[in-house]
Amino acid sequence: MDDVRPTVAEVTLAGLFLAFLRLGCTSFGGGTGSWVYREMVQRRGWIDERAFLAEMALGQSLPGANGIKMSVLVGRRLKGGVGAVAAPFGLLLGPFVIILLVGAAYARIADYHAVHVVLDGVAAAVVGLSFATGISALGKGAADPASIAVAVATVFCVGVLGWPMLPVMLGLAPVSIGLAWARLSR
Amino acid sequence: MRDTFTGNLVALFAVFAPLSLLSFGGGNSVIADIAHQAVEVRHWTSARDFADLFALSRAAPGPGSMLCALIGWKVAGPAGAMLATVAFYLPASLLLFIVAKIWSRWRGARWHQAAERGMAPIAAGLFLSGGVAVLRVAPAGAAAWLAALAATAVLLYWPKLHPVPLLAASGIIFALIDLLGAPL
Repeated sequence: MDDVRPTVAEVTLAGLFLAFLRLGCTSFGGGTGSWVYREMVQRRGWIDERAFLAEMALGQSLPGANGIKMSVLVGRRLKGGVGAVAAPFGLLLGPFVIILLVGAAYARIADYHAVHVVLDGVAAAVVGLSFATGISALGKGAADPASIAVAVATVFCVGVLGWPMLPVMLGLAPVSIGLAWARLSR
Repeated sequence: MRDTFTGNLVALFAVFAPLSLLSFGGGNSVIADIAHQAVEVRHWTSARDFADLFALSRAAPGPGSMLCALIGWKVAGPAGAMLATVAFYLPASLLLFIVAKIWSRWRGARWHQAAERGMAPIAAGLFLSGGVAVLRVAPAGAAAWLAALAATAVLLYWPKLHPVPLLAASGIIFALIDLLGAPL
């Protein structure tokens, strides 16, 4: 009925928690949604592109921090209600402890110019992570011309023109869903 | 003393819980509101301190919105940090969980499939837009674009590569260019 791969069943609850704990401690530079994609879809293969994008689309239409929303949705898909608690808890635990520790030390490191330069470099590479996520998700989950046109329109309105995300989504969603409906009807 | 402490916790919750439900598009969309509340309305931090806390939340791993933990800590210590974090993440997560539960009830229906497939390219476009938005305000300008595109190519070519070594390399290269005196 659908060409979506079944999601991996042998992921344990502890494994899910630990994976998100590790992800939280290493996801520097923001864009946590891209980090979740990289780790869960590309590196571990616990969820496939199309399922991830479907979950992401649901998450994007609701409020909340993107990385946390993806952890709730991936956790729920893999391990149900407990997974939806364990994944975001794991994702937040490390950063929570780290940010308070760094907060205590920050007064001493903030004055170094080099710290800011290195952070700029890290932030630029993280943009690459967002780009790679968008491109490979599009390539594997939605590679037909209509989908690519919708993605380009989204980037133009939100990224280039700087319009707010929500009205753009409300405008493009009916068109894009209509096109998908037409494809499915064929 | 006890009353001030409790009052501070209540105030933290009253600020962060509504913002959780207003953060359409991600945690970054309410940073300006958090700044307004913390600096001008509640006087929890000075504008200068807020800028420092913000920079710090960018430097640490995890969601940028962990900024709320730092503000909570400043207002009411460890309990404040915990409460602010819960207040900022729990309401939106709970709402999402309930909606996801209802939504998945229709999995398999054709309109449900059309909705998921139709939304997918928009979701992909939003990842790309997020990157463009960051680059447009990046202090390093052209160097940031170059680093971002190089990182994109590497990450696409090696899908299983862990991003951290790449980020470290980019940070080190920026530091080296800066040391050599080239303008970034």
